[in-house]
Amino acid sequence: MRRASVMLVAALLGLLALAGVLPAQQPPIRLGLAAAVSGGSAASGEAIKRGLSIALDEVNARGGLLGGRKLELVVRDDEGNPQKGVTIARELVEREKVAAVFGGLHTTVALAQVPVWHELSTPYVGTWAAGTNITQNGKKPNFVFRVSANDDEVDKFLVRYAAEHLKRGKPGLLLENTAWGQSNETGLTKWFAERGVKAVGVEKFNWNDPDMSPQLLRLKQGGADVVMLVANAPEGAQVVKSKAKVGWEVPIVSHWGISGGRFAELTGELSDGVVFVQTYSFFGKQNARGEAVLKALKDRFGVKGPEDATAPVGTANAYDALHLVALAIEQAKSADGAKVRDALEDLKAEYAGLIKTYKRPFTPEQHDALTERDYLMVVWKGGKIVPVH
Amino acid sequence: MIIQLLVSGLALGSMYGLVALGYHMTWATSRTLNFSQGHVVMLGAVVAYGVHVAAGWPLAVAVIATLAASAAFGLVVERIAVRPFFTAGSPVWLLSTIALGIIVENVAMVTFGKDARAFPSTLALKPVFLLGAGVYPQELLLPLAGVVLMGGTQLFYHRTFYGRQLKAVAWDREAAGLMGIDVPRAVATAYALSAVLAGVAGVLLAPLLNVSPTMGTLIGLKAFAVAILGGLGSAAGIVVAGFLYGLVEALVAGYVSTGAREIVGFALVIAMLTVRPWGLGGRRPTRRV
Repeated sequence: MRRASVMLVAALLGLLALAGVLPAQQPPIRLGLAAAVSGGSAASGEAIKRGLSIALDEVNARGGLLGGRKLELVVRDDEGNPQKGVTIARELVEREKVAAVFGGLHTTVALAQVPVWHELSTPYVGTWAAGTNITQNGKKPNFVFRVSANDDEVDKFLVRYAAEHLKRGKPGLLLENTAWGQSNETGLTKWFAERGVKAVGVEKFNWNDPDMSPQLLRLKQGGADVVMLVANAPEGAQVVKSKAKVGWEVPIVSHWGISGGRFAELTGELSDGVVFVQTYSFFGKQNARGEAVLKALKDRFGVKGPEDATAPVGTANAYDALHLVALAIEQAKSADGAKVRDALEDLKAEYAGLIKTYKRPFTPEQHDALTERDYLMVVWKGGKIVPVH
Repeated sequence: MIIQLLVSGLALGSMYGLVALGYHMTWATSRTLNFSQGHVVMLGAVVAYGVHVAAGWPLAVAVIATLAASAAFGLVVERIAVRPFFTAGSPVWLLSTIALGIIVENVAMVTFGKDARAFPSTLALKPVFLLGAGVYPQELLLPLAGVVLMGGTQLFYHRTFYGRQLKAVAWDREAAGLMGIDVPRAVATAYALSAVLAGVAGVLLAPLLNVSPTMGTLIGLKAFAVAILGGLGSAAGIVVAGFLYGLVEALVAGYVSTGAREIVGFALVIAMLTVRPWGLGGRRPTRRV
């Protein structure tokens, strides 16, 4: 008797599930992250993961998408290696069945993955790598989107600041000796040329170089009146330390590599006055989303405050990117890659995000949601990042 | 400009020389090297950071703890990455020491974190100016430490009983063994001392280079070039070669181009290996028939 009733209940539950009455049975929508989460750039991958997780929890707390389907994040490590990047791109789509993928820091990896997204009809949203031709890749339809900076736009922004705000006409370029440095050498040279200005010197350095004084001396001898810097925090720190050693009072205008909170720790008061570009800053007054993200960073990841949030742009970009993809899935009424891509390109809903309010962020021609107009010039001051007005 | 380049070059060179002395230590005793010398420098800096900056112990205590940790690591390297292959006459220690270094780097990434952190020192806050050329006081400690440690190792080898045992092992391992010298212990001691030198370098470099799991890699590589230039068998040659290498780097970067710096530096090493493979300060090996 007892056994029969158990079976009856089970059968009833089964019928209900088949009829779709029990909502908990819905499969989740899976989203991928393909980024460097180990090695020297691991902090960037971690920052992106934080931004994605915070936004994902918000969406799930609202009840998920497409009538109750929860979002789920699948993370794969590209190790900063393009070959590995291609392998995990396939794995995410073919094995893990993700609806869309978010990308990491390395331009080289992102470029290698472009054909894969196209072939597998899976939308990809870059959250960091700034290489210009990642989004401008010549593919039709283009499955690659970006909520991050774009080197070409950044260079335009930095050049305008040096020329118009600082009124400098003799720039010296100081770049890291990598593909990223190379890409910015091209951009900076191009945008300075637009204004009839030619750099008085172009100097490079390697990762972990201990002393930058020879490079700075060469720029100084060349008569530079502003240094355009493309460096990450450790090398950027050595640059300002060497600059003090050389005894050269010159403004530094920098790409966003020195944005990590530790730059100030590494340089002390020497960092004061160094200006650089950001897509977003957790310092200063925050909008409602900023408050919420900071609180989540604190509660979930033990981040003590904005100065403790390493690689903050990764978190901010990823947060907005996930919300934009969520809106696209709702609009497409499907988690099918091609449909989500079409929806992204023609997003109807307005999204009041962390970085800005997005109104039709992407078009068939424009796959960068953020452009020069959305960037923010900030300055290091007493160990804090303050917007430049 | 020239004065600044000279000062910068000498500071850089003493850094290389200091790290390169560690290669000399083990080579002189066992004809083997810890190829992860740069990683030991990093280990020293990370331990010092943990004890002094994070845990807040006084600097003197932190230095002692760091040197003890370095010595212990040197013993581990010798025991698990060198001895098994060395006694079998196999050159696999080349790879196994590198592998151990990579492991240490990754452990540091997990425990210490990937970010570079500052190691505060009052000697590295503001540069002082000599004849118009800036230098951080901390940088002036490096050549001092280099010369003192070089002198110290020489005294140890030539004037102490135990040092002479190590020298004897270097000359002829079998004969030394027959004379009652504990050869494995001598080699282990050399590894511990070599790691201590690297640990000292780590503590001295931490305020200048900042502390990070990758801080030692490039320095270790260049220090190896310096050790080849100076002669692996000669402590004095290594210190002099360090200064030379630093000067060449600074001058080439200043007057030719930054890109040419590494090319000239490593070309020098190849030239030295061709012309005088025993290095600046080394002696031509006598061939025994």
